[in-house]
Amino acid sequence: MKYVPVRHAAVGLAFAAGLFVGSPALAQTTQTMLDATKPGDKYRVYVANEYNADITVIDATTDAVIGTIPISGRPGLVRPRGMALSPDGTIIYVSISDFHPEFEVTEDKIVAIDVRTNQILQEFRAGGNPERIALSPDGKQVWASLEALAQGGGYDIATGTQFVQFRVGIEAEGVAVSPDGKWVYVTAEATHTTTVYDVENKKILKHILVGNRPRAVAFSLDGSKAYVSAEIGGTISVIDVNKNHTLVASINLGLDSRPVELVVDPSGKYVYVAGGGTSAIYVIDMATNKVVNTIKEKMGRRPWGVTITLDGKKVYTANGLSDSVSVIDPDCMCVIKNIAVGRGAHSVQIGRIPAGV
Amino acid sequence: MNLMIGRMRRVFAVAAVVIGALLAPAAAQEPMFTKPVHIGVLLPEEKPEAGPFWAEIAKAAREGTIITEEDFAFNAELVGMDFKVLTEAPVRGDVTAAAQKLLDAGAFAIMGGYTNAETRALGVWAEQKGIPFINLGASADNLRNDLCSATTFHLEPSAAMYLDSIVGWYVRSGLRQWYFVVEDTEEGRAQYERVRWSMQERHFGAREVGRMNLAPGRPGGANLAAAVRRSNADVVILLQGAADQLVALKDLESGGVPATVQVTGYPHTEAQTRAFYAASRAAAPTLGVGHRGAAWEATIDAYGAREYNARYRERWGVPMEATAWAIYHAMRAFYEAAFFNEGKTDPKSVMNYMMNPASVFDLHKGVATSFRPWDRQQRQSLFLIKINSAERANSLLNQALLVGELPAIYMPGTDLVERLDQIGDLANRSRCRKPTPLR
Repeated sequence: MKYVPVRHAAVGLAFAAGLFVGSPALAQTTQTMLDATKPGDKYRVYVANEYNADITVIDATTDAVIGTIPISGRPGLVRPRGMALSPDGTIIYVSISDFHPEFEVTEDKIVAIDVRTNQILQEFRAGGNPERIALSPDGKQVWASLEALAQGGGYDIATGTQFVQFRVGIEAEGVAVSPDGKWVYVTAEATHTTTVYDVENKKILKHILVGNRPRAVAFSLDGSKAYVSAEIGGTISVIDVNKNHTLVASINLGLDSRPVELVVDPSGKYVYVAGGGTSAIYVIDMATNKVVNTIKEKMGRRPWGVTITLDGKKVYTANGLSDSVSVIDPDCMCVIKNIAVGRGAHSVQIGRIPAGV
Repeated sequence: MNLMIGRMRRVFAVAAVVIGALLAPAAAQEPMFTKPVHIGVLLPEEKPEAGPFWAEIAKAAREGTIITEEDFAFNAELVGMDFKVLTEAPVRGDVTAAAQKLLDAGAFAIMGGYTNAETRALGVWAEQKGIPFINLGASADNLRNDLCSATTFHLEPSAAMYLDSIVGWYVRSGLRQWYFVVEDTEEGRAQYERVRWSMQERHFGAREVGRMNLAPGRPGGANLAAAVRRSNADVVILLQGAADQLVALKDLESGGVPATVQVTGYPHTEAQTRAFYAASRAAAPTLGVGHRGAAWEATIDAYGAREYNARYRERWGVPMEATAWAIYHAMRAFYEAAFFNEGKTDPKSVMNYMMNPASVFDLHKGVATSFRPWDRQQRQSLFLIKINSAERANSLLNQALLVGELPAIYMPGTDLVERLDQIGDLANRSRCRKPTPLR
């Protein structure tokens, strides 16, 4: 299947000088991306449409849809969900599974998409309903939560092979790699735990009790803290990485909030949380652990995915019940645009096309 | 008896076997829990004379207990918890003797109660012993009111919750003329009175156009069908036992009640089984494929229920019945009472956790739930299902389909607890005068 451009749209990507864009795994990619980015780079927003079995591509400058990348000819049966970005921003990784969470089926895989061409570069098996993924800071490994197996898995990107699998709780979901690459955190929805995997020593370090039904996890830019959303608990658990990965705070967003993805802004001061239950984005001051803003007006319904540009100028959310992406201006803390995408928008990422390509 | 653990571990270890040396070493962290966490499950007594629906409940309870133990043993092992599920089944109906065995074996909390009589007896026993007990399958409102027990928590929805859901569903669907078939027992009459209250106080616009009281086991026959036809009813509510509902359906269909009339029945646990849905369709191919209330439905695919239902089907090859669901979530409540509370299993710590407004429970229904303080009833949404016609009922799973949910859980800007309390009795109607014995 081929990438399908939108013919009536402004297909030629606008020049986006100075627009640095990021991802939910921002902490891991910030420095590498900053090192790599140049004036003249162009950016594209990628949205995983869970029920459409495809990826919507949006021009990050105009916020217009410019095409669709088919993932499977079986929408409703094959589900693209989690996404991650290579450190230089040129490759988007997407975890694929099916709607029958059995142990392993042929759809269970990770695909790599070339941001320059929107073509699939590579795909490799990732057994057991891979739900979310994260890249190592050097871009050589991808880590996945294997939901049906209650395992985390590490894959070597060069060879497409799995090099480790480790036990986590039931219904593994969120995964993140610390900015220094030392730790992989994997959440488990049904066990209320976040598992800490020690990459260097190749062993599980501990399982941390967090909030009820933990979903996603993100590290602060300096890697000292990790933030875990708990959907049923309506909380964000704050883990101090340097204090033996200890839970140090719980931020209450309300039972209706049903938080899922979170992303740390480029200043390292705020974390944006997608509140699926209230169709809101919560902005938390990381210094005080207080909610300093709640963005609701004009938001699409049930945002689960959230990401932010590296210059901090725009926040994008993937809204699963309204099949849309909301674009937020952090200056006014308001929605400035809603973009129709495919059915069941699950996650959102931003890729980079280097200048001159 | 301690149920066999293994399938889940085998399942979750499949990839480990395949990749062998790739598997990372297990956790080396210090155990977070030092005390044993042993939980007792009373299984239904095997009673061949009790009929096929009871047999389905017993089967679901056995299977549900095993997969529940597998899941929670897996969870417990992660954090170094000494976790065990203890099970007993009563002999000749003596549920309290079986519960006592569980207590003697070291269970800190008990779950069980598949009939109103069982739950009543277990509630009295648990209160005397001062231990927490979760009711799995008894919906009678008097167990939450005059007969309430201070240490009994109800996972099974109350009759008032079921009936408010059913009334709300049909009134909103525009069905205004209601005919009642009422089992002439204390429970049947109580259900009828509660429906009438719901029609008068909560869901306006419908009216009663007829009623027939029938003793248990006594069919209405042609008289029932004729009465319903004459009444010009557009919905018939069968407030009877599961077997009697099937007889009534057959009588209504053979008696010429038109297909435009909706027929539903009280969702006893037995009447929430796939076997009952098939029997309903067999008894009345037209009138027997209507809507029903349910605490759980195996075709739910939101809120993590997709994975949960799939795990069960993968494990047993059959859809999860409400009884299996109830055991899982009762176990979860007790497990989490220890898990989130430093492993404390003394009764007051457990009950404190369960009654703490800050404690939330995940029933795989999409929102955080809690126990109502005045009667210890678990707040929760309920489901409306449609029994599938013969053409669509091509598998056990496809006997029914999820069609609705009450109350609506997505109403941001409103209070979640108030939203869930739209069904069932509020504190001002409660006649339970036994507070939970907290510290």
